[in-house]
Amino acid sequence: MSRESQKESSWGVSYGQLVWREFTKSRLNVFWLIVIIFLFIVAVLAPFLANDKPFMIRIDGKLYFPLFRDLGPSDYSIFLAAVVVLAQLLLTWRNRKCIEPSIRGQVLWRQICISSSIIFIGVILIFVFVPRRLDATDYESMVASGKASDAVFAPIPYGYARTNLKVREQTPNVEHWLGTDDVGSDVLCRLIHGSRISLSVGFVAVGISSVIGVVIGAILGYFGGKVDFVGMRIVEIMMAIPVFFLIITIVAFFPRSLLNIMIIIGITSWTGDARFIRAEFFKLRKQDFVQAAVSLGLPLRSILFRHMLPNGIAPVLVNATFGIAGAIFIEAALSFLGFGVAPPTPSWGQMLSLGVSTTGRFLWWLTLFPGLAIFLTVLAYNLVGEGLRDAIDPRLRKAA
Amino acid sequence: MIPTLLGITIMVFAISRIAPGDPVSLAMGPGGQMDAERAADVREVRMRLYGLDKPVPVQYAIWLGRVVRLEFGDSIKHHRPVIELIKERVPITLTLNLIAFVIIYAISLPLGVLAAVKHQQFFDRASSIILFMLWSLPVMLVGQMLIGYLCGPAFKNWFPPAGLSCNYADQLPFFPWLADRLWHLFLPVLCLAYTGFAYLTKQVRAGMLDNLRADYVRTARAKGLSNFTVIFRHAFRNSIIPIITIMATLLPAMFAGSVIIEMIFSIPGMGLLAFEAITTRDYNVVMAVATIAGVLNLAGLLLADIAYAIADPRISFESAV
Amino acid sequence: MSENGILLSIGGLSVFFFTEEGVAKAVQDVSFSIEMGKTFALVGESGCGKSVTALSIMRLVPAPPGKIVSGEIVFKGRNLLTLGESQMRQVRGNKIAMIFQEPMTSLNPVYTVGNQIAEAIRLHQRKSTGQAWSDAVEMLGKVGIADPAQRVSEYPHQLSGGMRQRVMIAMAVSCEPQLLIADEPTTALDVTIQAQILDLLDELQEQNRMSILLITHDLGVVAERADDVAVMYASRIVEVGDSQSLFAEPLHPYTQGLLKSLPRLGFSGKRLQTIPGSVPEPLHFPSGCKFHPRCPTGCSDKKCQTMEPALREVRAGRCVACWHTKGYEEK
Repeated sequence: MSRESQKESSWGVSYGQLVWREFTKSRLNVFWLIVIIFLFIVAVLAPFLANDKPFMIRIDGKLYFPLFRDLGPSDYSIFLAAVVVLAQLLLTWRNRKCIEPSIRGQVLWRQICISSSIIFIGVILIFVFVPRRLDATDYESMVASGKASDAVFAPIPYGYARTNLKVREQTPNVEHWLGTDDVGSDVLCRLIHGSRISLSVGFVAVGISSVIGVVIGAILGYFGGKVDFVGMRIVEIMMAIPVFFLIITIVAFFPRSLLNIMIIIGITSWTGDARFIRAEFFKLRKQDFVQAAVSLGLPLRSILFRHMLPNGIAPVLVNATFGIAGAIFIEAALSFLGFGVAPPTPSWGQMLSLGVSTTGRFLWWLTLFPGLAIFLTVLAYNLVGEGLRDAIDPRLRKAA
Repeated sequence: MIPTLLGITIMVFAISRIAPGDPVSLAMGPGGQMDAERAADVREVRMRLYGLDKPVPVQYAIWLGRVVRLEFGDSIKHHRPVIELIKERVPITLTLNLIAFVIIYAISLPLGVLAAVKHQQFFDRASSIILFMLWSLPVMLVGQMLIGYLCGPAFKNWFPPAGLSCNYADQLPFFPWLADRLWHLFLPVLCLAYTGFAYLTKQVRAGMLDNLRADYVRTARAKGLSNFTVIFRHAFRNSIIPIITIMATLLPAMFAGSVIIEMIFSIPGMGLLAFEAITTRDYNVVMAVATIAGVLNLAGLLLADIAYAIADPRISFESAV
Repeated sequence: MSENGILLSIGGLSVFFFTEEGVAKAVQDVSFSIEMGKTFALVGESGCGKSVTALSIMRLVPAPPGKIVSGEIVFKGRNLLTLGESQMRQVRGNKIAMIFQEPMTSLNPVYTVGNQIAEAIRLHQRKSTGQAWSDAVEMLGKVGIADPAQRVSEYPHQLSGGMRQRVMIAMAVSCEPQLLIADEPTTALDVTIQAQILDLLDELQEQNRMSILLITHDLGVVAERADDVAVMYASRIVEVGDSQSLFAEPLHPYTQGLLKSLPRLGFSGKRLQTIPGSVPEPLHFPSGCKFHPRCPTGCSDKKCQTMEPALREVRAGRCVACWHTKGYEEK
């Protein structure tokens, strides 16, 4: 214990640790970070929280586990991603204890590359090999009629695709805590499963836009001159057309799918990051360490991404957090307008659009609860982004 | 400027052509009632009619030529010239946005300055939290809740739920007509304004905080100037500069808001036109709206650049534009 | 002391900063007097509290974290610390003026230099805009800016560093103040410009019979230009005296260390002398005499380690705060 802490204190504090410390000084920041983590847990464990298939059930004396058999490729992908992210976080924490600061950055970078590859390849393999099962057995009625016994259901025993026209448009009651929608699906269940859609759109879209933005910004900022001139024209063109309009135009012309939405939001939102990185690289280009790297003959890839990028990455991270909030909002808006994911896939925006029924009745629970879900998620990311920005800024100011 | 304009037109055109499906197929439907040969003939005629049979670059050149003369063709859905539709609808959207703009700036500037001056005090902290919440509230939620609660019979019809004017509005003399319009516009403008207002106030506050700590403010105080003069003549005047550039980014954001709000409140503006056109694959309208939106946006950016050059003496005209 | 009369007298001034990490005692029990028409230098390293002292005279210390907790600042018979804000504003820029270290950022970038000078004139001398403008042109000429009629409508970013500092001086001197506080006016400038600016200040001092409080860490400047000197260390004044005798015979170990560490012409071969250790932070001052960890005599002396020496006059016109100075203990 004392030897390890001696080692740690002799290493000093890394930039990441400084930012983390500054960030956690405010209890509000930590609170909203916990909210985000809570949303993650809900999204990952959604099939276990709200499902019309029981965990286990005894039919004719034999024990079955319908819920587990019903898990599909998207469920497994999310589990894989969650496990890998958790492992990566634990590794990062362990890095702090055991690995020297000077190489910690490289080690972290390598780990992140490996984790991302595992997730990426794993998701593709899962979607290729894991079959999507359709189990339409009505387990509830089996229990009710006595054919089955010893059933353990999920806390919210409704499936998000389950429709039941007999209970449509019900206000919140004991059976359906947040009411039902226009086809009788339980609102709470769809809200929980909808969080998966929102969060995955947020992260994938921002991931795509950040990568594109950083790469383009780096190239423009580093080379300058003609490359920059042409590149900036393209950036201006992209910025001139209102992004939202561009998105709905493109989305409307392509088949409605979650992947399409993620990609489209991603490829239209990169201009902000590109401008940031370009400005940073303009500044960094003239600094001595870059000149040194060039004169050593290092490959361009290495100069750009290993030497210059870590210096300018901070505002990109902050932007990414706000970007996630923005992407979630855009997805909700798209679904609201009818361009997003199609039912039965649950989406908060789509649920919002059902707020006014065909008869003109105002179904307040279909407006309020999805709206609040969007509000809280976006608020959490915005506040954490702001906290992150404040945590990074004083560092820079004090260092200067 | 010109290359960007050309680039916008190219991109708009490319998108409409890349997308699968074309207006003729849509208009014709599955065509189960015609036999295949006749269907093919009809299709060919229609394609030639819309000029869809020529190669893409030629189509682009033709289209561009027409655009420059403001001939956007006819709306496939409405069967009227697109330019007419746009002339009808743009003023409405512009009115909505301009009013919202004015409100945003009128409230944000003093509020942001006040929050910065009372930094870390109760007013600042409380307003900061409220502003964050306003910024994060999705406009769909707010719009629908307002309609649901303020427009229905339960609340004695405080506000009208839809439309721009009542049905009999044309027959009214000017001032009642204006009042009726404003009554209808109140909620939409509110919805359009609140997000931008939250964002702008935070920016004004941040800019003022930075400038209040600047050295030249200390010099101004050392000269014996009153607090008011220091805040407004010195700090505020410098804070305005980034606010102007923000104006340029507010425009596209408000366009997005327009689409949703016009849909919720059934206001016949450009946003709703765009939305309908996209869902019905009305190509001409879509491309026209996209081009005009891009041009208007660029005009806004140009105005912002000019204003920036005027406000900040360190920026020369040439470098800004 | 002399027949000139005392213009400004500071007694027992203490300024604290109340921060999240604790109370930083930036200035403790500072007392000195400035005579009319003379140049008084306040010397010390960065962070010793000299700038805060200067700001306190103008009552420009940033109020939420900072507070003047005790003391009095008597300017021509009035205690400035008791004045109301509007009365203080009449003093600022008018009777007491201040120029700052960074001419780049101390001028407002969006207004012309003429505008900024005229602003002060219009405020304090109630002149019309036209008159104030022509006064501004005249001031620019007085501070040695060539072609003032043209320069007056230029913006700060169009001028060089030296010219900007001249503009600052013009702004400060435009209302003929009786005391000019110059907070490190030449630190950010080239050495040649430095000399010009200091000459200019001397000139103006003679013309207007102005006193100057010169705050600096440059001992060379002090030796050349100052009449009286006070040496500050870690929030306290450790030595006061007229500059000639102070340089000839420094009494406090800190002053002695400072003078010894100056490189001298013709003195080659040996290593430059330094004062070991570094300046303590305001949040973590050592106990007793604040200099004792770095003092050759004090680091091992029990008294220096536990009891803080106050500033006492040990001979005519010389004050020092050190237990080991000859003549200190008898009082």
